[in-house]
Amino acid sequence: MANNDIKELIIITTLIFLLAPAFLLLYIFVYNRRKKRHIEEKAQLKMVFDAELIKTQLEIQEQTMQTIGVELHDNIGQLLSLTSLTLNSIELDHPDKAQQKIGAAIELNLKSIKEMRLLGKLLHGEQLVKQGLEEAIRSEIGWIEKSGRFMVNYQVDGEKGAAANPDKDLILFRITQELFNNVIKHSRAANISVKLSFSAEDVRLLIIDDGAGFDLNDLPETQKGMGLKNIQKRAEIVGGQVFIQSQPGEGTCIEIGIPYP
Amino acid sequence: MGRFFTINTVSELICLLIALICLVTAKDQVWRYLIVLLLLICVTELVGISIKIKYVKELDYLKTHPNFQMTVKPNVWVYNILLIFQAGFISLVFYDLLMRYINSKLLIIIGLAIFGVLYVYELIQHGFFVKHNITTTVLSVMFVIYSLYYFYELLKDSSYVELRYSAEFWWVSGTLLFYFGSIASLIFFQILAKLDPHFEVTVPIYKILNIILYGCWSYSFICRRWLTTTSKS
Repeated sequence: MANNDIKELIIITTLIFLLAPAFLLLYIFVYNRRKKRHIEEKAQLKMVFDAELIKTQLEIQEQTMQTIGVELHDNIGQLLSLTSLTLNSIELDHPDKAQQKIGAAIELNLKSIKEMRLLGKLLHGEQLVKQGLEEAIRSEIGWIEKSGRFMVNYQVDGEKGAAANPDKDLILFRITQELFNNVIKHSRAANISVKLSFSAEDVRLLIIDDGAGFDLNDLPETQKGMGLKNIQKRAEIVGGQVFIQSQPGEGTCIEIGIPYP
Repeated sequence: MGRFFTINTVSELICLLIALICLVTAKDQVWRYLIVLLLLICVTELVGISIKIKYVKELDYLKTHPNFQMTVKPNVWVYNILLIFQAGFISLVFYDLLMRYINSKLLIIIGLAIFGVLYVYELIQHGFFVKHNITTTVLSVMFVIYSLYYFYELLKDSSYVELRYSAEFWWVSGTLLFYFGSIASLIFFQILAKLDPHFEVTVPIYKILNIILYGCWSYSFICRRWLTTTSKS
């Protein structure tokens, strides 16, 4: 009986010793399948992110082209037309007046050249983002101020560390552009305050205007989709958050925080 | 002639044949060494059986004596020699597999050193013609540890490997199942040697373990030759 007990014990122990690694192998298979799913999901997210990045780049280019179009038509075009008119009106019989008009034409031409140079800078908008988010936003503000409709107060807090993230810079710059577009189109504001703060963990952008403001709950669905939803979606893609505070007649305050780098 | 073809020898010979077909052209030298190991295993088994046949009459005669206790098996020394090659070759494969994740040199050297010390100790203790059970048990535990460590690193690794077709995974799985499964028989070996001199319990256990081991190894070689894909991330 004792012999049989020992034999049974050995068989049972062997079975347990075989079942234990068998279950371990099963667990490894299940875990590996999960790992595969996780890698696929990560690849999918990367694809979405890359697509969004390309879309952002295209939108920045489009915005640049729009600005250039407007500038060429409204500003440089006008200046050159005026130059042409001035030159056409020169009467060589009156050298004093002619001299004056030539001087005015030269001045107009120089102004055109200056404007052209500024447009040239704008064409390198993407390059500007590569140089730094602060500078890109500063340049954007420069264009807003040029219209003469807005007073913009721009402040940069903290310093961006050595480790940069150009993709996030690009997305945040595009969000800033969209926010400025909203302010210009809808806010009827006179003063805009822009604050960009860098910390060890994140970058925060705060835009406050003293415009008409709006009720977040009353916003038409189409408007939501075009502007704020886009901004929210973009911020979420880079793990960020958007806080909007606004009331009709009380201006708007939008804060965006993105983990950085 | 029929006595040479047991479940063990047939599974070993099939595995050797598959290894010859699949691993001769293997780029990794370590895998080619497995052909040598399997060849040594097959030769040992055949030599072991032939010795057993030669002495079987003598054994049958001895068994008729009421006080007969089989403490020494005539062919054990062949398996004791094989143990050295098993320790060397399998450790080498583990060295190669673990090297992908850690510097496994020290771990394998320590393992082989423990094996060497125990082997010599048992040699002095009871000579060459008694099974080196302590050494075999410790070696099995060491291979189990290596296998588990390999799986731990595999799980930790961020890159994805298609396990169904991974030669390394199936080779380690076979090794783990065999050596982990055989630990119970090895621990109770001394008691069994007295209670069950013909090893009626352990013989079928080893037959099953051998089928698992050589089945996994054979599939691993097939994977190595035709199905293995490199790790995908």
